[in-house]
Amino acid sequence: MEPSEKENLLELLESSRVTPATHKALLERLNAKYPLKFFSETQLETLRAVALRLVPHDPLELDLVGPIDHRLAHGDSKGWRYADLPLEANPYARLLEALPENFLQLEGETQDVLLERLQREQPRAFEDLLAELVEIYYAHPLVQVRIGYYGFADAQGWTL
Amino acid sequence: MTTSRFDAVVVGTGAGGAPLLSRLAKAGLKVLALEAGPVHPLSEMATDERTQEKLFWKDERLSSGRDPIGFGRNNSGIGVGGSTLHYTAYVPRVQPDDLRLRTEFGVGQDWPLEYADLEPYFEELEHFLGISGPAHYPWGPERRSSYRHAALPLNAAAKAMQRGCEALGIRTSSAPNAALSAPQEQEGFGTRRACTNRGFCQAGCSVSAKASVDVTFLPLAQKFGAEIRPNAFVTRFMLERGRIVGLEYVWNGILERVEMDTLFLCAGAIETPRLLLMQNLANSSGQVGRNFMAHVGTQVWGRFDAETQPFMGIPGGLISEDTHRVDGLVGGYLLQSIGGMPVTYASQYARGTGTWGQKLLEHMKGYMHTAGINILGEGLPYEGNFLELSSERDARGLPKPIIHYSNGENEKKMHTHAEKLMRDIWTAAGAKDLWTFPRAAHTIGTARMGEDPRSSVIDAGGRSFDIENLYICDNSMFPSSLSVNPALTQMALSLRVADQFLEGRN
Repeated sequence: MEPSEKENLLELLESSRVTPATHKALLERLNAKYPLKFFSETQLETLRAVALRLVPHDPLELDLVGPIDHRLAHGDSKGWRYADLPLEANPYARLLEALPENFLQLEGETQDVLLERLQREQPRAFEDLLAELVEIYYAHPLVQVRIGYYGFADAQGWTL
Repeated sequence: MTTSRFDAVVVGTGAGGAPLLSRLAKAGLKVLALEAGPVHPLSEMATDERTQEKLFWKDERLSSGRDPIGFGRNNSGIGVGGSTLHYTAYVPRVQPDDLRLRTEFGVGQDWPLEYADLEPYFEELEHFLGISGPAHYPWGPERRSSYRHAALPLNAAAKAMQRGCEALGIRTSSAPNAALSAPQEQEGFGTRRACTNRGFCQAGCSVSAKASVDVTFLPLAQKFGAEIRPNAFVTRFMLERGRIVGLEYVWNGILERVEMDTLFLCAGAIETPRLLLMQNLANSSGQVGRNFMAHVGTQVWGRFDAETQPFMGIPGGLISEDTHRVDGLVGGYLLQSIGGMPVTYASQYARGTGTWGQKLLEHMKGYMHTAGINILGEGLPYEGNFLELSSERDARGLPKPIIHYSNGENEKKMHTHAEKLMRDIWTAAGAKDLWTFPRAAHTIGTARMGEDPRSSVIDAGGRSFDIENLYICDNSMFPSSLSVNPALTQMALSLRVADQFLEGRN
């Protein structure tokens, strides 16, 4: 049997091509479980559905919402905020509330139409959420190797 | 609370604070540096962008104006070494005319010093830091010395820019970079290794090749007896009879106090004016927090048929200063090839184009074929661009800073000019699917130096006009933004501030 994608990645991470600091960081991310503390159940369901449309992924493999919950539960900032967005413990609450209650039941394409409208109506909060989801997604080593990236295996450096 | 006493206390350990710290220590002064963040050991620098966000200043700042500035990863560092931990190490010298912008154009500001004042420091720094660069640099005054190390190898983005510029008749050169192309002995540190082409300069160097101050000036300062205290967040200054006699800082949750003869405030162009405004200090000119500037930093990205390995090699391998002066613009800009790390690239693409869903994923499948080109251009001071204190408080109970920023006509014209040129270069180089990321870089100019106490905060030696034992040395002191990256000029100013201070003392 062919080794799985994840087995190949683990083999690379365990090799001398990855520094101890990088190994630690990526292994932690690969196995991370985020106990949910911050969002309400309704917010979580909506956010997960939104995340699936903004950055399509397999939710059984990747948890894009958990790291956001974790960040907000710890009150961590990204270093700045648009001054015209109010100070809120949950910067995404108004964004999620703007979606209809039956959002989860809608077809993907219909959800997209609503999300496009949301992008026009709350451009800055939408941009912040999109960027956060994108950063979480592309920081995942499995996603990285799927786009052909292997830059984390740099313990021996690169020859140009 | 314990109180200790020093000849000089330096607040901030970045490009402004570290060089002068080493000078003062070498002169035999009892010096202490206070750094808000922790030590970031080389062995803990991961090749992982999210982990390395620990290098960025994350306390919330409020961004206002028509073109709000993003902080954090873009421009603000924390930890022993400050923003030099994540700077790209791109270190061209300023050209003399940039220091006389007002004389040349009637707008902007002249500096209260000349190129000749900085030149010996550039020479010292290029040797001490171990700058790698070309044998002959085509722009600016003739150099009296060559770069210490040969230029670093060009990555795919640099080679693409070379091709595109050649087709359009634009001169290019290997860029001077503060990263070693050969090992170097570093006094106080030991042997620094040559660059391994990891390409993660903006997320912290793990091999000591990059000349961040944690492997250069700070170990030198410690060798001469300087004390560096990490995790020390300054909250308040104490004054007596118009002099600063001490300060308070929170150290691992405990309020501490230190007394000093002289204070060097080197906390960066946001935290320095924030600290001063909290007590309205050194502000008889009303200029503390004013004249906030950022560089025009427009990027153009494209996709090439061949793989580019965009994460590989020194990010800014190539330079052109042929656009140092452009008809119709005040000041000018430099062109720089740029590499990109995957998370930053994806995030910028999403923010810059608003793309999401399958289209975003499709675009990112081409990540390994991308390469970028970037400008660094003069941003002018404007009345409406400034920092003030917000009524919102942070977790420490201190007011958050609010930064108002809008591009003026010159920044817009420069962006448009540069975007067209970069698109032409990239098209000539064979790139497809071009996209533009409008961007502002660096934080500059909120406590400017000048000759006139009515319109500037400090004199040409960095000394406050109002408080005789207060010196300011960080990007807040720049009267104009210059069309080069600020780190080299900042380090030169830092050495000069120290030398002038020591001269005045003797």
